[in-house]
Amino acid sequence: MDSPLLRRCVRAAAHTHKHIRRRPQTQQCRFYATPTDSQGDLRAAPPIRMRSDYNTSSQPRAQFLDDNYRSTNRRRDDDEDNREVDLHSLRIVPSSPSYFTATPQYTDDLLHLSTLSRRHQLLPVLAPGQAPRIAWKTIDQYKTELAEPVRAKGYNALLKLLKQLNYIHPSLMPEEVKTTLETFKRDVQPYLNVPKPITVDAYGVSVAVGRRKSSSAKAYLVEGTGECMINGRTLFQYFGRLHDRESAVWALKSTQRLDKYNVWALTKGGGTTGQAEAITLAVAKALMAHEPDLRPALRRAGCVTRNPKRVERKKPGRLKARKMPTWVKR
Amino acid sequence: MRAQTARPPAPGERKAMRKKIVLSNANALEVPGLENLTTESVRDMDRLRELEGQVVGFDGDTVDALRALEAFKPGQGWGLFKRPAALVRRDLVHLGAAMQSARENKSISRGVFFGERGSGKSVLLLQGLATAYLQGFVVLYFPEARPIADAQTAYQPIQTPEGETIYIQPRYTAHVLGNIVAANRGLLDSLRLRKQHQLPIPLQSNISLARLLELGANDPQLAYPIWQAFLSEITAPSQPEKQGQVRPAIFVGMDGVDHIMRMSAYLDTESKPIHAHDLAIARDFLSLLSCKTHLPNGGVVMAATSTSTRPLVPTFDHYLARKHADTYAHKLTTIVDDLLHQVKVEKSIRDIGLSDLEELPAASYPPPLAKQVQDLQYRVRCYQDQNASLNSLRKYLNTFAPKLPEWNPYEVKDERVAKVMESGMAVTKVERLSKDEARSVMEYYARSGMMRGAVTEGLVSERWTLAGCGIVGELEKGLVRARF
Repeated sequence: MDSPLLRRCVRAAAHTHKHIRRRPQTQQCRFYATPTDSQGDLRAAPPIRMRSDYNTSSQPRAQFLDDNYRSTNRRRDDDEDNREVDLHSLRIVPSSPSYFTATPQYTDDLLHLSTLSRRHQLLPVLAPGQAPRIAWKTIDQYKTELAEPVRAKGYNALLKLLKQLNYIHPSLMPEEVKTTLETFKRDVQPYLNVPKPITVDAYGVSVAVGRRKSSSAKAYLVEGTGECMINGRTLFQYFGRLHDRESAVWALKSTQRLDKYNVWALTKGGGTTGQAEAITLAVAKALMAHEPDLRPALRRAGCVTRNPKRVERKKPGRLKARKMPTWVKR
Repeated sequence: MRAQTARPPAPGERKAMRKKIVLSNANALEVPGLENLTTESVRDMDRLRELEGQVVGFDGDTVDALRALEAFKPGQGWGLFKRPAALVRRDLVHLGAAMQSARENKSISRGVFFGERGSGKSVLLLQGLATAYLQGFVVLYFPEARPIADAQTAYQPIQTPEGETIYIQPRYTAHVLGNIVAANRGLLDSLRLRKQHQLPIPLQSNISLARLLELGANDPQLAYPIWQAFLSEITAPSQPEKQGQVRPAIFVGMDGVDHIMRMSAYLDTESKPIHAHDLAIARDFLSLLSCKTHLPNGGVVMAATSTSTRPLVPTFDHYLARKHADTYAHKLTTIVDDLLHQVKVEKSIRDIGLSDLEELPAASYPPPLAKQVQDLQYRVRCYQDQNASLNSLRKYLNTFAPKLPEWNPYEVKDERVAKVMESGMAVTKVERLSKDEARSVMEYYARSGMMRGAVTEGLVSERWTLAGCGIVGELEKGLVRARF
């Protein structure tokens, strides 16, 4: 009764039953995304040949193609010498397949970038955030150059590819990528402007410039006993107001360095407050050259950041920047 | 319009408030151990030198005399403390020495204090007055030169015996005479008239000088002749053997002297401005300052400039700068002469000692000299480093001459002022306080309870810098007056 055969049969039956319940037999055979069996003579389309220079205006808008162009290239090469151009059978085909899109040059750019991205996707890349900062063309600049109605979303897709390519390790960056990226950079690269570090010279003097409102100041800081000269006059002679005097040497006062340094400052433009606070910034920067460790203390004292506030402009229809004229009934 | 809620101030009330002199603050603490300037301390030069750098008070008697002379001025901050006190500075010690010498040797010293605003010129003069008073001098003081020259009091022309026209100011003179007699009453009561004077009123032959001055103070028309009589009496040689004929040394002071170093605001009969030196009072003071009036009993004549509402006085300024530079140039010349002497004596350039030259603080020298000093220091050092010949160094040192400020020949010089200034008076620049002096002043503030917090090195240094490297007036403004 309890033969192994029977047991196997019962198990098989149970398994079949479970199987049936789980997967209904609607899909008897599997379909593949690409056909597996041979479907005759299948050839890849000729690659889209993108030109390296992306000055699209110099690209030919169309080119003459022989009817036989697509069939066999070899035959065409053989016949090249003794071919007779039959103008009636010639067909004009645009050089770019994106000719019939609304934004052909943009589409070309996008395709080209995605090709590059695909081609070089295996190259080593920099760590996130380590890519060199580059100012890409703004959408307006790009649109103006191309004279095509590029949308923000589309341009963002382009930018995404550019940024992705920019992450390729600079030592292995292929020449074609380099040249392509060049064409998308803004003419002026603000990130190349690196501030020159302020140093203490051979005489122990550090020089720094500070600005506030419309004043600017240049401060020379040297180790000393707390003397302070501004435009050739003492602090007291130059600033009548005690508050301004304190402002001018605030960087030194807040770090208890007032008796350790002498200040010799030149300032011009603006009013007394602006000049005093311009000196604050200049002295703070010069002090950081002497003692870089004071930076956090100076930042807490508010001496490191340039105050960008300026006088607000007057507007038409207003008496001042914001003041409205008096309301009159008639 | 704002509604008037209170009675408007009566005529003159605002001015009285403005000019009010308050010498005591009931809320300030009495500073324990505050010494007074006493007769003993001013007569003993060692004692006075010890007091240098300390804040020293004035006793009641001196304060009364100074108040009578109008030496205390509004805005000097006397009303912030329990009683008047001031820092004894090196200039005062020098002044004390000059007074000592005047008292003992009947010498005369004359000088002008000048300096930055708030540097303590007027207070230095006040301390000079106090010292002179305590030394037993007759103290004459013109609290401001401005009212002499700004055409605010009546004036009238008189002829001098030399035939010049000068202008007297009867009311102003009477006022000053009143001040002098009030301040020096104790001394002048004991002095008797000696000479016969041509006065519009008959005088008793041996009245006291105090009585004489009272007559002048009470009647403006008599004031100027009596002032002249008083001046001739006080500058007469002393006759100690006769009673009441002792003539003590005198101290004459004037503040804001710049105002009489130019054309006054008065007009003459042809409506031309009168030079301030033609005003009788100014003329008398300046003849004392330029030593035209001889002081046989010795004396000190001091003037101080003023930097508030200061007029343009280019000639006076030039001479101040020049004479100030001259004192430094003198030191420099001495050092150069010493070097030249060494060049003669020594065998090698290496043996010449440069310590004197190199210790000169070039930065503290007045502008034209500062660069020259630096240059001299550098060049001489170069000669020594290069082991140059003694002859070349001697040649260089022989060509060295200190540069003093020169008058711009394209500007008109006030010859009368120039003549006074060239008469050989000393010129003293009242310097800024050193940090030690600033500390002493701040400790006084703290002990008076007018400044909170401990006087630390850092605080002293900070306030010293903010007060423009030790301008004493600014120090007070920042520490005692400022209310944040």
